Amino acid sequence: MKPRAAQLKPSARPRHPAHPESLDLRSQSLVICLGPGGVGKTTISAALAVRAAVIGCAVDVMTVDPAPRLLDALGLGADSSEPVEVQLEGIAHARRGGGSGHARLRALRLDPKRTFDSIVARYALSDAARDTILENRIYRNLSGALAGVADYMAMEKLLELAANPSTDLLVLDTPPAAEALDFLDAPRRLLELLNSRAVSLLGAPAGLFRSRLRMVDIAARAVLAAFDRVTGLNLLSDVQSFVRSFDGMYEGFSARAALAQDKLRAPDTAIVIVTTAESSRIAQAREFIGALERGGLRVAAMVVNRVIAELPDAAELASARIAPSLKRKLKRNLADYAALKTREQVSLSALRNSLPGGAVLMVAPDLGREPRTIADLAEIGRSLRAG
Amino acid sequence: MTLPRVLFVTGKGGTGKSTVAAALAIALSRRRPTTLADLDRRLSAAAALGAVLEDSATVKVTGSLDAVALTPRAELEAFIERIVPIRAISRRMLRSRTFGYVTAALPGLEAFLLLERLRIMAGDAALEDRYLVIDAPASGSAVELLSVSSGVKGIAPGGTLNRLADSVDSFLTDATRFGAIVTMTPEDLAVREALEIAATMRERLGIVTVAAIMNCVPDLLFDTSELAALNSLGGHARLAVRRNAAHQQAALAAPRFAAAGIPTFSLPMMFTPAMGPAEVEKLGRVLDRELLDR
Repeated sequence: MKPRAAQLKPSARPRHPAHPESLDLRSQSLVICLGPGGVGKTTISAALAVRAAVIGCAVDVMTVDPAPRLLDALGLGADSSEPVEVQLEGIAHARRGGGSGHARLRALRLDPKRTFDSIVARYALSDAARDTILENRIYRNLSGALAGVADYMAMEKLLELAANPSTDLLVLDTPPAAEALDFLDAPRRLLELLNSRAVSLLGAPAGLFRSRLRMVDIAARAVLAAFDRVTGLNLLSDVQSFVRSFDGMYEGFSARAALAQDKLRAPDTAIVIVTTAESSRIAQAREFIGALERGGLRVAAMVVNRVIAELPDAAELASARIAPSLKRKLKRNLADYAALKTREQVSLSALRNSLPGGAVLMVAPDLGREPRTIADLAEIGRSLRAG
Repeated sequence: MTLPRVLFVTGKGGTGKSTVAAALAIALSRRRPTTLADLDRRLSAAAALGAVLEDSATVKVTGSLDAVALTPRAELEAFIERIVPIRAISRRMLRSRTFGYVTAALPGLEAFLLLERLRIMAGDAALEDRYLVIDAPASGSAVELLSVSSGVKGIAPGGTLNRLADSVDSFLTDATRFGAIVTMTPEDLAVREALEIAATMRERLGIVTVAAIMNCVPDLLFDTSELAALNSLGGHARLAVRRNAAHQQAALAAPRFAAAGIPTFSLPMMFTPAMGPAEVEKLGRVLDRELLDR
């Protein structure tokens, strides 16, 4: 077996130019992991980050909803919304040679509410304007995990972290998504709400501005008013004051969103889709790829997590000196897992056939246990291989 | 065992919720007419049974089993059409982008309407003596979905929505009409999440978990002395240990659920090269025997 590190070197030549062997972490500045829930996205994000640190990069990894064990592994507390240095001792001799010449790993947890509050504080024109926003009912719902705000905040935090010149690579874990673009599209959705002419004019007295209002806006305003009356939500005034309180802040928001969009399309940004070999997940992953391509975004790699590790050799059993009954059981056990492996291969080849050009397919073999330590994450990172 | 009309199947992502929901629906449909409702746009539960479903349409899987897709969007449309009787206006409203943003910013309006739809379906199920099995979202989103009616009451102090929220609340907490089933696999994390969601549903929402289903349990093939004899066979030993560990992990989970008053049922790991409708039917037979006959 050749050393895994060699595959990650920039000099390693891919065998097929259309589908490189491995994701070259050293030439990326941002890696974004997307995928459905329950596939181990956070684990893979952390494993990629540990791997990059081991090969000499200064890395930050931002997780969104880590399992308690993984939090422990990364040394994160419940309240680590600022980067915390992760101890890599005993993992590998973190070699020098990253862009900054200083290998390290820092981890942090995204706190969407706090991030949003701090952005509002940054762009608000006055303290009074800031307080009005923070107390608004719509804002409170927006900032509480609903309507993709966590996604938007991850993008915001990403820009903040990416601006740090001492960081070579930022690895971003994302919230579980049903649709690929949920996450990447969040800034645009929020901006459209803030910029919506109809919403901002909802409260304008009839007659005023009318000439500038399109029919569409008038209709929207009418239906919203009707909706409010029937449902008893009395939301109009809240929506309106929310949007109005963003007056003057819109420029700041939209400039940031544009930056984030540029960052996503930068040549040194790699979008990685994480999935498992289960056929329904593979189908979902393929939908993700399609949606990203339609959105003009390129998928750099697919990681299939928890694939069944290499099975032992059946021939070993023939010569083994054990009871025949035990031998029969071992044969059956092997046949059972071989059947699962076959199922997995069918899914993987379907995925391979629909892989976009230039994308890498990698598999992460199942550790047989939940990753609990940095060493486990390093092992997953090291064992990532072409699938 | 006696089950409520509506069974809400949830659990950690990747524990086979859709497979379990499909198997349960198959098992129930041997006794009573059953509807399998999919809250997932991809209709994974119906697909597990080999049924092809168009959006929000109903399809007959067998003589006594229907599958139906429920989407928040379709429920929102139905709701708007109900409250705005003039079709031209309601259509205009739904097409308006502004309206889309505002409803997206509302705390779970679409989710709430989905619950309201389930309540109505439960009423119909009681009248027709049917069961309703729901392939629900994964644990975190499921709790969000189920908590939505109390949220609606908080923001809409009066009006149509407030009245609806009251009736949705009493539906969810009525153990004869609504019950949750949590799924898990023999992994610590999945077991813990199943225990957590059952506790959250009980304590915060007053929702009863009628059963925990442990999916993908391999049968016990090796005893301790056999495992000890495998030392010299590295790869084979590891594979044998892995199988036994999964089996034992499953066995250890049952008492933890029993302590919370929740019965646990196991579904075997299907060691088959494909996981199709035939395999789901087999799992359905296991549930029929183990769960329904109890």
